[in-house]
Amino acid sequence: MGKDYILSLKGITKEFPGVKALDDVSLNIERGTIHGLIGENGAGKSTLIKILGGIYQPNGGKLEQDGKHVSFATPIDARRAGISVVHQEIKLSEPLSVAENMFLGNLMLKGPQMVDWKGMRKRAQEIVNELGMNIDVTVPVESLTVAKKQVVAIMQAINNNSKILIMDEPSAVLTDRELESMFRIVKDLREKGITIIYISHRLDEVFELCDNVSVLRDGKHIDTLPVAEVTKQQLISMMVGREMGQEYPKEVGTIGDTILEVRNLKRGNVLKDISFSVKAGEVFGISGLVGAGRTELARAILGIDRIDSGEIYVRGKKVHYHTFADAIRDGLGLIPEDRKLQGLVQIMSVKKNTTLVNLDRVSRGGVISNALETQYGNEYKDKLRVATPSLETEVQYLSGGNQQKVVIAKWLFQDAEILFLDEPTRGIDVGAKTEIYRLINQMVKEGKTVILISSEMPEILGMCDRIMVMHEGRKMGELDVAEATQEKIMALCV
Amino acid sequence: MSKQTNTSTLDGRRNFASTLSVMSKDYMSVVGIILLAIIFSIGSYVKNGEQYFMTISNWKNIMLQSSTVAIVALGQSIILLTGNFDLSLGRMVAMISCVGAVLMKNVGMDPNLVILIMFGLGALIGAFNGFMTAYVRIPAFIATLGTQYICFGVAKLLTQATPIPNMPESIGWLGRGYIFDNAIGKVIPISVIMMLGVYIIAQFVTSKTKTGRNIYAVGGSPEAAFFSGINVKRYYFGTFVLAGLLCAFGGLILMSRLNSVAITNGQNYEFDAVIGSIIGGIALAGGKGRVIGTMFGCIFLITMFNGFSQLGVDPFVQDVLKGVVLVAAITLDVVRNRKKS
Repeated sequence: MGKDYILSLKGITKEFPGVKALDDVSLNIERGTIHGLIGENGAGKSTLIKILGGIYQPNGGKLEQDGKHVSFATPIDARRAGISVVHQEIKLSEPLSVAENMFLGNLMLKGPQMVDWKGMRKRAQEIVNELGMNIDVTVPVESLTVAKKQVVAIMQAINNNSKILIMDEPSAVLTDRELESMFRIVKDLREKGITIIYISHRLDEVFELCDNVSVLRDGKHIDTLPVAEVTKQQLISMMVGREMGQEYPKEVGTIGDTILEVRNLKRGNVLKDISFSVKAGEVFGISGLVGAGRTELARAILGIDRIDSGEIYVRGKKVHYHTFADAIRDGLGLIPEDRKLQGLVQIMSVKKNTTLVNLDRVSRGGVISNALETQYGNEYKDKLRVATPSLETEVQYLSGGNQQKVVIAKWLFQDAEILFLDEPTRGIDVGAKTEIYRLINQMVKEGKTVILISSEMPEILGMCDRIMVMHEGRKMGELDVAEATQEKIMALCV
Repeated sequence: MSKQTNTSTLDGRRNFASTLSVMSKDYMSVVGIILLAIIFSIGSYVKNGEQYFMTISNWKNIMLQSSTVAIVALGQSIILLTGNFDLSLGRMVAMISCVGAVLMKNVGMDPNLVILIMFGLGALIGAFNGFMTAYVRIPAFIATLGTQYICFGVAKLLTQATPIPNMPESIGWLGRGYIFDNAIGKVIPISVIMMLGVYIIAQFVTSKTKTGRNIYAVGGSPEAAFFSGINVKRYYFGTFVLAGLLCAFGGLILMSRLNSVAITNGQNYEFDAVIGSIIGGIALAGGKGRVIGTMFGCIFLITMFNGFSQLGVDPFVQDVLKGVVLVAAITLDVVRNRKKS
């Protein structure tokens, strides 16, 4: 087509055990443009960046830079080829000065071994001035705001003579004003001939900033288009447009009275005036992107984090839990996001993990009864169909899906009435997922209440009765499942 | 053991590691004590033409020495179970003993009252360690290193580094008393019974109660324990307080047995306690092991050095050997707990 491509991906495939993170992705990046890369959580954006940055090696396909085949075995190779990545979590050496960070791994020397401090500071100040920023290059990076740290990371890339700059969701941590100046910097860089690959969740940014945009979904490249030729609605359907199979065996529970009500909950700038109520027997979904404040909401309700203001009512009674243990005693529970670290004591057995939250139930006169513990352990192991060689096996030897079942067993054994499930199916295979959905059905049929936090939209749509959408700590809306569609949810959370 | 079959069915190559793991955890220190006894008995006979090692009076000696180390080590092993470490234990013994001796001898307070004060002091220092570790969140290693210096300094100040001899007769029974004194002579020391007592209680509590289970959970994963509603900080705090109390107890028995107090009382107990704990099967990383093992681990350690002395091994060489045993014990721990996935 006569276009000048600086980077071409040809059939890039990356597989992890059990998952195809990237599936035959082919796309071209035009020289001197800002190229947007969008997709849902798990669409493969991060994997793609890691391949371009030399952190992962693809299982198939090839990479061409300036029309020539290249491959990056390490991040250093990518950097030598002029590709720099500004990660979402900025990787700088905090105690070192701005100037030192800009020259990290690439120190300016005078003579064979002496560091040229003066020269480095001078060059650093030049770059700062070029970008029109107000940063003192001699102060340690740790004293800067997150926005300025990001600028330092960008300057590091400029200083490395990068030709391609990859920015992974830079806006996630910025305020609106900081965002404006960051946009200006990015546009400046384009003027200087640097190509930028810009990953974002926010479609508005894509329209404001990018020349072209590529959409990824489930590891596949859906399309690449000039931004001028596409609408926001079209992009949304490209991002979410996936068929829903019978993976979601939704059954309606025994709906009762309102069991949990939250009014005007506030916490710093994480939770901004959240109100909602949930009925017994409901599956209440909380949707939103990573960083929307969903986990924080659960933590605030459960007494894990302090709240600034707002009221929480459980069974019509106003509550204020000081610790998570208070909430547990009151019949609430949480299946945490990080199953491995937070959900289970990995070096403890299946049995001991199952009974950990409710040891009183297996104790007689303050003494744990081994017989009782084994009996219940077996009962819940069978009930949840946990595949384990024995009750005494340490959970670290179980698969992800089976580990998650043990976490659920723990809370069923505790007989929690209101259970928060935070990303309960992340990283587990389809079969185990369906079993977890069946357990959710079973719980609500028994009149228990499930609050399902999930980034997977089909899951939210497939399993919930009502859905609340959050964005940046705010409640953006509430939808009944009958009226909800992926497009409607997506429109609320971007 | 069922654990052994589990791991080995998962992976056949792990047979050796898991066998070693089970052996070393549950029986190794006991087997070790028996082996040492055999070796030293033969050694003693060969060297002297007569048996000095395998005698009632020598074993009584070993058990007496073990009792104080083991009582202090119990605190260390429970702290280790939660994933922490206490460097101050040995010097805490010294300081509490010195305070006790000064109050009893120089001030002339009632020994029973002084005993109470000593326990109070142990709890207080433990509470300080626990507070710094759990609530201020200073690494236990550093916080207790500070306490170690403070304790040693206070002990030196109080006594001007001069030993205080002749403890009151009324506390003599603790370290030098025997049960069934009249019936079977001086064979079973009261301090050994005390050691057995605290270990039996501790073994019961750690293996059979909610408190015990929670200690293992906290050590296994503080995050997961927290998300199971366990007050992790309270467990950190409580275990340090308990260790302080046990230091007071150990110090008391030691001053009674030696019938004098010096700043060297309890010296190196914290490390002897670690060696004893690890030989006894406690994981250095926390969350695993049976506390009763620590008692056998300590007896093993004392038996070994008793034997070396009997065979006339140079005390300086014994220091070297102690270092070797420490490294060997920790190597064993690392090998034993190497992740098998």
